[in-house]
Amino acid sequence: MSWSGLLATLRPRAVAKDEDGTEPDPRFTFANERTFLAWSRTALALVVAGLGIVQLLPPFPGVPIGRHLLGVPLIVLGAVLAVVAYAEWVRNQRALRRGEPLPRSIIPWVLAVTIAGMAVVSAIVLLASALR
Amino acid sequence: MTQPEHAAQRPGRPPQGDDPEDRDPGLARERTSLAWTRTAISFAALGGVVLKTNVITGLIIVAIAPLVWELGRMSRIGSPDTNLPAVGATRIRVITASIVAVSLLSLLVALLGPATPGALR
Repeated sequence: MSWSGLLATLRPRAVAKDEDGTEPDPRFTFANERTFLAWSRTALALVVAGLGIVQLLPPFPGVPIGRHLLGVPLIVLGAVLAVVAYAEWVRNQRALRRGEPLPRSIIPWVLAVTIAGMAVVSAIVLLASALR
Repeated sequence: MTQPEHAAQRPGRPPQGDDPEDRDPGLARERTSLAWTRTAISFAALGGVVLKTNVITGLIIVAIAPLVWELGRMSRIGSPDTNLPAVGATRIRVITASIVAVSLLSLLVALLGPATPGALR
Protein backbone atom coordinates (compact mmCIF):
# COMPACT_ATOMS: atom_id res chain seq x y z
CA MET A 1 0.00 0.00 0.00
CA SER A 2 1.32 3.45 -0.87
CA TRP A 3 1.92 6.18 1.67
CA SER A 4 -1.10 8.00 0.35
CA GLY A 5 -3.34 4.96 0.66
CA LEU A 6 -2.07 4.18 4.14
CA LEU A 7 -2.69 7.69 5.39
CA ALA A 8 -6.04 7.91 3.61
CA THR A 9 -7.27 5.06 5.81
CA LEU A 10 -6.76 7.33 8.81
CA ARG A 11 -9.31 9.82 7.50
CA PRO A 12 -10.93 11.56 10.45
CA ARG A 13 -14.60 12.29 10.70
CA ALA A 14 -14.87 14.65 13.66
CA VAL A 15 -14.63 17.97 11.83
CA ALA A 16 -15.89 16.80 8.46
CA LYS A 17 -19.02 15.28 9.98
CA ASP A 18 -20.02 18.36 11.92
CA GLU A 19 -23.79 17.89 11.78
CA ASP A 20 -24.50 21.57 12.38
CA GLY A 21 -22.61 22.79 9.37
CA THR A 22 -22.10 22.44 5.66
CA GLU A 23 -18.95 22.15 3.62
CA PRO A 24 -17.49 25.66 3.21
CA ASP A 25 -15.83 27.03 0.11
CA PRO A 26 -12.70 24.92 -0.45
CA ARG A 27 -10.64 28.10 -0.72
CA PHE A 28 -11.51 28.97 2.88
CA THR A 29 -10.58 25.50 4.01
CA PHE A 30 -7.26 25.75 2.20
CA ALA A 31 -6.63 29.20 3.67
CA ASN A 32 -7.33 27.87 7.16
CA GLU A 33 -4.92 25.02 6.52
CA ARG A 34 -2.20 27.39 5.28
CA THR A 35 -2.62 29.54 8.38
CA PHE A 36 -2.16 26.46 10.53
CA LEU A 37 0.95 25.50 8.57
CA ALA A 38 2.37 29.00 8.94
CA TRP A 39 1.98 28.79 12.71
CA SER A 40 3.53 25.32 12.63
CA ARG A 41 6.58 26.69 10.89
CA THR A 42 6.75 29.45 13.47
CA ALA A 43 6.67 26.78 16.17
CA LEU A 44 9.50 24.90 14.47
CA ALA A 45 11.49 28.12 14.14
CA LEU A 46 11.11 28.70 17.88
CA VAL A 47 12.38 25.19 18.57
CA VAL A 48 15.35 25.74 16.25
CA ALA A 49 16.12 29.07 17.92
CA GLY A 50 15.91 27.56 21.40
CA LEU A 51 18.08 24.62 20.46
CA GLY A 52 20.59 26.87 18.75
CA ILE A 53 20.88 29.12 21.81
CA VAL A 54 21.47 26.20 24.16
CA GLN A 55 23.73 24.16 21.92
CA LEU A 56 25.65 26.60 19.77
CA LEU A 57 26.02 29.91 21.62
CA PRO A 58 29.12 30.37 23.76
CA PRO A 59 28.33 30.44 27.51
CA PHE A 60 27.53 33.76 29.16
CA PRO A 61 30.37 34.60 31.59
CA GLY A 62 29.02 34.64 35.13
CA VAL A 63 25.60 33.30 34.15
CA PRO A 64 26.06 29.54 33.83
CA ILE A 65 22.38 28.83 33.18
CA GLY A 66 21.95 31.79 30.87
CA ARG A 67 21.69 29.79 27.66
CA HIS A 68 19.11 27.42 29.16
CA LEU A 69 17.20 30.35 30.58
CA LEU A 70 16.80 31.71 27.06
CA GLY A 71 16.58 28.53 25.01
CA VAL A 72 14.34 26.18 26.99
CA PRO A 73 11.31 28.54 27.12
CA LEU A 74 11.52 28.96 23.35
CA ILE A 75 11.42 25.20 22.82
CA VAL A 76 8.48 24.85 25.21
CA LEU A 77 6.71 27.72 23.47
CA GLY A 78 7.18 25.89 20.17
CA ALA A 79 5.32 22.85 21.51
CA VAL A 80 2.56 25.00 23.03
CA LEU A 81 2.19 26.98 19.82
CA ALA A 82 1.69 23.81 17.77
CA VAL A 83 -1.10 22.61 20.04
CA VAL A 84 -2.79 26.03 20.16
CA ALA A 85 -2.53 26.29 16.38
CA TYR A 86 -4.34 22.98 16.05
CA ALA A 87 -7.08 24.14 18.41
CA GLU A 88 -7.44 27.33 16.38
CA TRP A 89 -7.66 25.36 13.16
CA VAL A 90 -10.50 23.27 14.59
CA ARG A 91 -12.35 26.37 15.87
CA ASN A 92 -11.94 28.18 12.57
CA GLN A 93 -13.02 25.18 10.52
CA ARG A 94 -16.11 24.75 12.70
CA ALA A 95 -16.99 28.44 12.35
CA LEU A 96 -16.54 28.21 8.58
CA ARG A 97 -18.81 25.19 8.39
CA ARG A 98 -21.51 26.91 10.42
CA GLY A 99 -21.22 30.26 8.71
CA GLU A 100 -20.37 31.96 12.00
CA PRO A 101 -17.86 34.79 12.48
CA LEU A 102 -14.34 33.52 12.85
CA PRO A 103 -13.20 33.40 16.48
CA ARG A 104 -10.46 35.77 17.56
CA SER A 105 -7.07 34.14 17.61
CA ILE A 106 -5.08 34.14 20.84
CA ILE A 107 -1.86 32.97 19.22
CA PRO A 108 -0.51 36.42 18.27
CA TRP A 109 -1.10 37.59 21.83
CA VAL A 110 0.65 34.53 23.30
CA LEU A 111 3.56 34.94 20.90
CA ALA A 112 3.91 38.68 21.51
CA VAL A 113 3.86 38.35 25.29
CA THR A 114 6.35 35.50 25.27
CA ILE A 115 8.75 37.20 22.89
CA ALA A 116 8.56 40.41 24.91
CA GLY A 117 9.26 38.40 28.06
CA MET A 118 12.18 36.66 26.37
CA ALA A 119 13.58 40.03 25.31
CA VAL A 120 13.50 41.22 28.91
CA VAL A 121 15.15 38.01 30.15
CA SER A 122 17.79 38.30 27.41
CA ALA A 123 18.57 41.86 28.45
CA ILE A 124 18.89 40.82 32.10
CA VAL A 125 21.17 37.89 31.24
CA LEU A 126 23.36 40.05 29.01
CA LEU A 127 23.60 42.79 31.63
CA ALA A 128 24.39 40.32 34.38
CA SER A 129 27.04 38.77 32.16
CA ALA A 130 28.56 42.13 31.23
CA LEU A 131 28.71 43.35 34.83
CA ARG A 132 30.67 40.32 36.01
CA MET B 1 -19.06 32.88 0.10
CA THR B 2 -20.73 29.99 -1.61
CA GLN B 3 -19.19 27.24 -3.65
CA PRO B 4 -16.70 28.43 -6.26
CA GLU B 5 -18.13 29.59 -9.50
CA HIS B 6 -15.71 27.63 -11.65
CA ALA B 7 -18.19 24.78 -11.71
CA ALA B 8 -20.66 27.00 -13.54
CA GLN B 9 -18.22 27.80 -16.32
CA ARG B 10 -18.94 26.46 -19.75
CA PRO B 11 -16.47 25.82 -22.55
CA GLY B 12 -16.22 28.78 -24.87
CA ARG B 13 -17.55 31.25 -22.33
CA PRO B 14 -15.22 33.86 -20.86
CA PRO B 15 -14.15 33.27 -17.27
CA GLN B 16 -16.28 35.00 -14.65
CA GLY B 17 -14.73 37.72 -12.52
CA ASP B 18 -11.38 39.43 -12.60
CA ASP B 19 -9.86 37.56 -9.70
CA PRO B 20 -7.60 34.73 -10.96
CA GLU B 21 -8.81 32.77 -7.97
CA ASP B 22 -12.33 32.82 -9.44
CA ARG B 23 -11.04 31.50 -12.71
CA ASP B 24 -8.88 28.82 -11.14
CA PRO B 25 -9.54 27.88 -7.51
CA GLY B 26 -6.79 25.32 -7.95
CA LEU B 27 -4.37 28.09 -7.15
CA ALA B 28 -5.43 27.86 -3.52
CA ARG B 29 -4.64 24.17 -3.59
CA GLU B 30 -1.25 24.98 -5.14
CA ARG B 31 -0.44 27.54 -2.46
CA THR B 32 -1.44 25.07 0.21
CA SER B 33 0.74 22.41 -1.34
CA LEU B 34 3.67 24.84 -1.35
CA ALA B 35 2.99 25.64 2.30
CA TRP B 36 3.26 21.94 3.08
CA THR B 37 6.54 21.79 1.20
CA ARG B 38 7.91 24.72 3.22
CA THR B 39 6.84 22.96 6.39
CA ALA B 40 8.66 19.81 5.31
CA ILE B 41 11.78 21.86 4.64
CA SER B 42 11.46 23.39 8.11
CA PHE B 43 11.46 19.92 9.63
CA ALA B 44 14.56 19.02 7.61
CA ALA B 45 16.29 22.22 8.75
CA LEU B 46 15.54 21.52 12.39
CA GLY B 47 16.78 17.96 11.93
CA GLY B 48 19.99 19.34 10.46
CA VAL B 49 20.55 21.53 13.52
CA VAL B 50 19.92 18.63 15.88
CA LEU B 51 22.20 16.39 13.80
CA LYS B 52 25.11 18.57 14.88
CA THR B 53 24.67 17.50 18.47
CA ASN B 54 22.71 14.26 18.46
CA VAL B 55 22.83 12.11 15.36
CA ILE B 56 20.00 9.70 16.18
CA THR B 57 17.57 12.40 17.25
CA GLY B 58 18.54 14.46 14.24
CA LEU B 59 17.91 11.57 11.88
CA ILE B 60 14.49 10.97 13.45
CA ILE B 61 13.52 14.58 12.88
CA VAL B 62 14.92 14.58 9.33
CA ALA B 63 12.90 11.43 8.64
CA ILE B 64 9.71 13.34 9.46
CA ALA B 65 10.36 15.72 6.56
CA PRO B 66 9.44 13.27 3.74
CA LEU B 67 6.34 12.24 5.69
CA VAL B 68 5.24 15.86 5.86
CA TRP B 69 6.00 16.30 2.17
CA GLU B 70 3.87 13.25 1.40
CA LEU B 71 1.03 14.64 3.47
CA GLY B 72 1.32 17.87 1.52
CA ARG B 73 1.20 16.01 -1.77
CA MET B 74 -2.30 14.94 -0.78
CA SER B 75 -3.36 18.56 -1.06
CA ARG B 76 -3.25 17.98 -4.80
CA ILE B 77 -5.55 14.97 -4.60
CA GLY B 78 -9.04 16.37 -4.23
CA SER B 79 -12.27 14.56 -3.61
CA PRO B 80 -14.55 15.02 -6.65
CA ASP B 81 -17.49 15.84 -4.36
CA THR B 82 -15.99 18.55 -2.22
CA ASN B 83 -12.80 19.51 -4.09
CA LEU B 84 -11.05 19.11 -0.75
CA PRO B 85 -8.00 16.98 0.06
CA ALA B 86 -8.80 13.32 0.48
CA VAL B 87 -7.33 13.35 3.94
CA GLY B 88 -8.42 16.28 6.11
CA ALA B 89 -7.89 16.74 9.80
CA THR B 90 -5.61 13.73 10.15
CA ARG B 91 -2.86 15.64 8.40
CA ILE B 92 -3.27 18.54 10.79
CA ARG B 93 -3.14 16.20 13.76
CA VAL B 94 -0.03 14.45 12.43
CA ILE B 95 1.77 17.77 12.06
CA THR B 96 0.75 18.87 15.56
CA ALA B 97 1.87 15.59 17.09
CA SER B 98 5.14 15.71 15.14
CA ILE B 99 5.97 19.21 16.34
CA VAL B 100 5.18 18.35 19.95
CA ALA B 101 7.35 15.21 19.69
CA VAL B 102 10.15 17.14 18.02
CA SER B 103 9.93 19.83 20.71
CA LEU B 104 10.24 17.22 23.44
CA LEU B 105 13.20 15.59 21.70
CA SER B 106 14.83 18.99 21.28
CA LEU B 107 14.20 19.75 24.94
CA LEU B 108 15.95 16.52 25.90
CA VAL B 109 18.87 17.34 23.62
CA ALA B 110 19.04 20.87 25.03
CA LEU B 111 19.02 19.70 28.63
CA LEU B 112 21.05 16.53 28.39
CA GLY B 113 23.05 16.73 25.18
CA PRO B 114 26.64 17.94 25.00
CA ALA B 115 26.79 21.55 23.92
CA THR B 116 29.17 22.71 21.21
CA PRO B 117 29.69 26.31 22.25
CA GLY B 118 31.71 28.35 19.89
CA ALA B 119 30.10 26.89 16.83
CA LEU B 120 28.71 30.35 16.17
CA ARG B 121 31.92 32.18 17.02
